[in-house]
Amino acid sequence: MPTDNKRIAGPEDSISYRLFKETSNESVLSKINNLKNNIRSDGRKTNEQRKIFLKCGVVSQAKGSAYFEVDNTKLIVSVYDPREIPKKTDYSLKGELFCIFKYAPFSCPNRRGHQQDAEEKQHSAIMKRALESAVCRHEFPNFQVDVYVLVLENDGSALSGAITAAGIALAQAGIPMYDTITSATLAIQGSTKLLDPTLEEEALCTIATHKSDTETGYDSHGIIVLAILSTHEQISEFYQLGNLNLDTLNESISILMNATKEIVPLVEKCLVDYVNKTFKANGQS
Amino acid sequence: MAKQFKSLHPTKFYRDYLNQDIRPDGRLVSKFRPVIINIGSIATADGSALVRIGKTTVICGIKAELCPPKPEKPNEGFLICNVELPPLCSSKFRPGPPSDLAQITTRFVADLILNSGCINLKDLCIVKEKLVWCLYADIICLDHDGCIIDACLLVLLTALKTVRLPVVQYDAAIDKKTIDASVKKCLNIYNTPVSTTYAMFEDKIITDPTTEEEEISSGLLTVVVKDKELCSIHKPGGSPLSEEKLYECINETVNHADLLITLINTAVSECNDDNKNC
Amino acid sequence: MTKPLICVPGQRLCILDKTHESGQGTYERQGYIYSSLAGVVDVVDKDGVKVVEVQSTGEQTLVPTQGDIVTAQVTILTQDFCKCVIKCIGNTVLSRTYRGILRREDVCATDKDRVQIYKSYRPGDVILARVLPITEAHTYNLSTAENELGVVIAHSEHGYPMVPISWTQMQCTKMYTKELRKVAKVVPENMNTKT
Repeated sequence: MPTDNKRIAGPEDSISYRLFKETSNESVLSKINNLKNNIRSDGRKTNEQRKIFLKCGVVSQAKGSAYFEVDNTKLIVSVYDPREIPKKTDYSLKGELFCIFKYAPFSCPNRRGHQQDAEEKQHSAIMKRALESAVCRHEFPNFQVDVYVLVLENDGSALSGAITAAGIALAQAGIPMYDTITSATLAIQGSTKLLDPTLEEEALCTIATHKSDTETGYDSHGIIVLAILSTHEQISEFYQLGNLNLDTLNESISILMNATKEIVPLVEKCLVDYVNKTFKANGQS
Repeated sequence: MAKQFKSLHPTKFYRDYLNQDIRPDGRLVSKFRPVIINIGSIATADGSALVRIGKTTVICGIKAELCPPKPEKPNEGFLICNVELPPLCSSKFRPGPPSDLAQITTRFVADLILNSGCINLKDLCIVKEKLVWCLYADIICLDHDGCIIDACLLVLLTALKTVRLPVVQYDAAIDKKTIDASVKKCLNIYNTPVSTTYAMFEDKIITDPTTEEEEISSGLLTVVVKDKELCSIHKPGGSPLSEEKLYECINETVNHADLLITLINTAVSECNDDNKNC
Repeated sequence: MTKPLICVPGQRLCILDKTHESGQGTYERQGYIYSSLAGVVDVVDKDGVKVVEVQSTGEQTLVPTQGDIVTAQVTILTQDFCKCVIKCIGNTVLSRTYRGILRREDVCATDKDRVQIYKSYRPGDVILARVLPITEAHTYNLSTAENELGVVIAHSEHGYPMVPISWTQMQCTKMYTKELRKVAKVVPENMNTKT
């Protein structure tokens, strides 16, 4: 790995102390079994989302910005004016979105690096795809709009939160959009579908398990992130990780569609409050 | 019209304000912005704090890891602090490697922490020559509106005071480490260096400048003090400054430092009380 | 003040028919007009047709397009062109500036061959210009070949503001020296709003 001369590097062989913690007696398997019996560690129902807190206009230097919080997942998004696309010489009729998704080094149980890793790059690409269909890209030809996401603390469902928050930030920045965009995450383990999973649930649902002790085939498991344009009921991004059988797919999508619809009023309220506030400020000046 | 004028002739716009002894944001020339400190907001970090100076927002999370010490300093731990100025916080920064400003700020803050002796690296030693703590302090700017060094120092010191480290048992014979997370101890912080920044604009000295003010100013000056002692002065180039003006700034910083330190201690003590209760 | 009609992106505003037209900040889809901004709905009556517009209440996000009148500041002069940064579009102040280029042949409407850049503009001048069709990515071609376009604010060699005294000359307010500029005929603001 190339050395990073622009930051102060720590010792090479440091390790998180959490690895040496006395682990609780409850094994991973029993936790998975709990999940399969629809018992969540925080006592939620399987199709219950955590309470969402949304706020826009948090970064004064940015054109548009939003803060998103569900329980311990906290993230901040900022959007800047269209700027020239670097290293591009030919003329394009449609503008581009440029997304950077980053976990803060202290946001996860294990420390993250300063540079974007593969997972963060993938999340950036997913966000770009999800948001591009919501934005009227012909309105700013030849330019790119920057969307920066910083996850301050990760407790699951960070990607879907980032997409929802980015939608608000873009709207606040006055970037023309076809629709409001909302997103939700579903974690699947066997026949259990957990809406808005925590970090632990996300980890448990990416482990493949056998259907029963006698069978050798693997049960369905994985994570789905769905982004939807609410008025037109169009899915702008469907991202799935893991192994899924087809009957669960339909059900999963309908759960996620309902979940995203629940978020829409929150997004609308956030934007209406902002418009009200600026309208009054304009009236006074 | 004011906005157009500001965009085309920022210096003249600002001069007109200062001639009336007021700044565009309504402050007097020597007035500080309000400071807000919030602590322990990041549960995944071992110590964290968020500081707002006016609109400038920085967050600091400290993660503790275990590692063997350097052979030349067998009983000293590590404190690695980095300042990030991501493109998220201002349109001035581009994605990619850290900007010059980020590197300068990182260096300045790191040197200051080591030189001021506010933390003794020997306290981070667990077993001599075998195992020490390495504290990664990552300071991230969320909103860049001037005085970034002040905010970084403030947030770092506050975060350091909230760090809780678990007790480690180390069996050197079989290289076995056991962590007892139920008992956590604080870190000793021996003093609290705090700083204030001034901007020079023509013949005036502006206290606690915003980004706009920093940009049009002819030079910046950061004064760091601890316990009524001068800790460091950072004046990266710019227009010359008379001795009297410098003393004025230092005195002002010393006065303001009391307020900042009280603020940190109040925030930290409230958190400590909460811990005792639960 | 009447209560504003607030909308968010994607909100259906009204049906699209002969009497309703989609204006700024809206788009048409399947016979309806939808909002594309978070802002306030504004209905403008134009020749019996109601144009539905959405005005953003915060700072607007704009990029220069062909035909816009922009305010720019001159940065670099050469024999053939001058470079400038675009700071405002119409009345909207941009928070991010864009690069513009003004070629020698676009400075004046008449006598194109005899125009010399350094006799028309100097670095630091604030000019009004029109955006020409875009040919290059990244820079906008500008033109001042109209009476109303050209230098509006300039400072003399000595650093004092200057006032126009003719189409081609400006005078320093302090030292009374004369300098050559392509001066714009500034139209009073209330005239713009009437037309």
